[in-house]
Amino acid sequence: MSYDDVEIEDMEWNEEIQAYTYPCPCGDLFQITKEDLRLGEEIANCPSCSLYITVIYNMEDFQNDTKKNNEPKTRQPVAVA
Amino acid sequence: MAEHGKTQADEEEEQQVWSWGAGTDGQLGTAKLQDELLPQLLSLTSLPSISMLACGGAHVIALTSDGKVFTWGRGSSGQLGHGDILNITLPKLVSFFDGYVITQAAAGWSHSGFVSDSGCLFTCGNGSFGQLGHGDNTSLSTPAKVSYFSNESVKMVACGMRHSLVLLAGNQVCGFGSGKRGQLGFTSDGTKSVNLPCVVSGLKDVEVTRISANGDHSAAISADGQFFSWGRGFCAGPDVYAPQCLPSSLSFREVAVGWNHALLLTVDGEVFKLGNTLNKQPEKQQLQIDSSEALLAKVSDFDGVKVLQIAAGAEHSAAVTENGEVKTWGWGEHGQLGLGNTNDQTSPQLVSLGSIDLRTKEIKVYCGSGFTYAVRRKQGLSSSPTSS
Repeated sequence: MSYDDVEIEDMEWNEEIQAYTYPCPCGDLFQITKEDLRLGEEIANCPSCSLYITVIYNMEDFQNDTKKNNEPKTRQPVAVA
Repeated sequence: MAEHGKTQADEEEEQQVWSWGAGTDGQLGTAKLQDELLPQLLSLTSLPSISMLACGGAHVIALTSDGKVFTWGRGSSGQLGHGDILNITLPKLVSFFDGYVITQAAAGWSHSGFVSDSGCLFTCGNGSFGQLGHGDNTSLSTPAKVSYFSNESVKMVACGMRHSLVLLAGNQVCGFGSGKRGQLGFTSDGTKSVNLPCVVSGLKDVEVTRISANGDHSAAISADGQFFSWGRGFCAGPDVYAPQCLPSSLSFREVAVGWNHALLLTVDGEVFKLGNTLNKQPEKQQLQIDSSEALLAKVSDFDGVKVLQIAAGAEHSAAVTENGEVKTWGWGEHGQLGLGNTNDQTSPQLVSLGSIDLRTKEIKVYCGSGFTYAVRRKQGLSSSPTSS
């Protein structure tokens, strides 16, 4: 059973792993790539456990991935003292 | 969670710190990056006397009895406060707080909050949703004072997945960060996030004594034992945008919230729960019932033994009984129940923390998202005339 339904706008783009992520209750992150989304995949898995979430999104938003249209917001850099 | 630091360290006491569950970010303090299915006794020589722990998504904050702050675990958002974004596997002193006495702290999914004895609030870590309260969405790897509270006295902070709650000396509750599910208590449907603290107006005439936050949930307990919650709905119910009082004749003294459940401890030492871990709904028809009181269920497996303290992880629960026993239940896939396996448990199970020790004075449990800590304080040999 899907752990939760999460809208794509609530997921965060992770530059390092090149995937949209959302917190998993185990402490790791549910992950789904843009390629997955382009193919219509709606399940984001957690690499550390058996849980997965269903991602709510418009497939059309990812059909023409020209990078300029739907380049996700990059995460704010952490201010390092 | 609301524990305030003791003012003096008692040389006669010794403490044991145990950890178990998800550990791949170093959050167990074992110096290893692996899950542990059984409680691990830590050798934390740098941590002489712990007054409280706060456990987040994958990081831990420890306060010592003299007000120092140590952190470890995941640091990728700056939540450890060491001025970098590194994970660490052993407790490290947060040098920023030299000269301050920190009396209470909270750990969110990827941010941290600290309250000083002078009533100041400091935050660090992920600020993408405004959950640090500094008026922007910047993340910080070194704690910074939240200037909004410059003329206020902060009593307590609670940190959820992407939001924060603050209890002020005047009993006002403020919120900031993500408010999409109603967890700030003052936003309307459609407001995504707020990056400056705002007062939760729905609690104006309530004398709030405790606040709790986890996932997209927020909760408060009043001096007269009432329970309020707001944010994501329990049991697949609708989101709640302002504090809602649970209609109940019970008097509550402690609350611990997870990502889909809340644990409530009554003044009589009984435990009740609202919602279910892993959204398991044994009785589907309950969803049709409108009253939230109907969703309050007694956790009845303590055999009449009073419960002294409760803690909630994302999808698991822990309690300390007056017998000095630690019990856990809920999701167990990462060993967060400490029972030596990865099974889920629907009722409280006894966790073995070494041999039963008659000198045990106090045990506290703390839950992070997928891991658990127990701190056992023992009476020192030289001052234990009670053993017979």
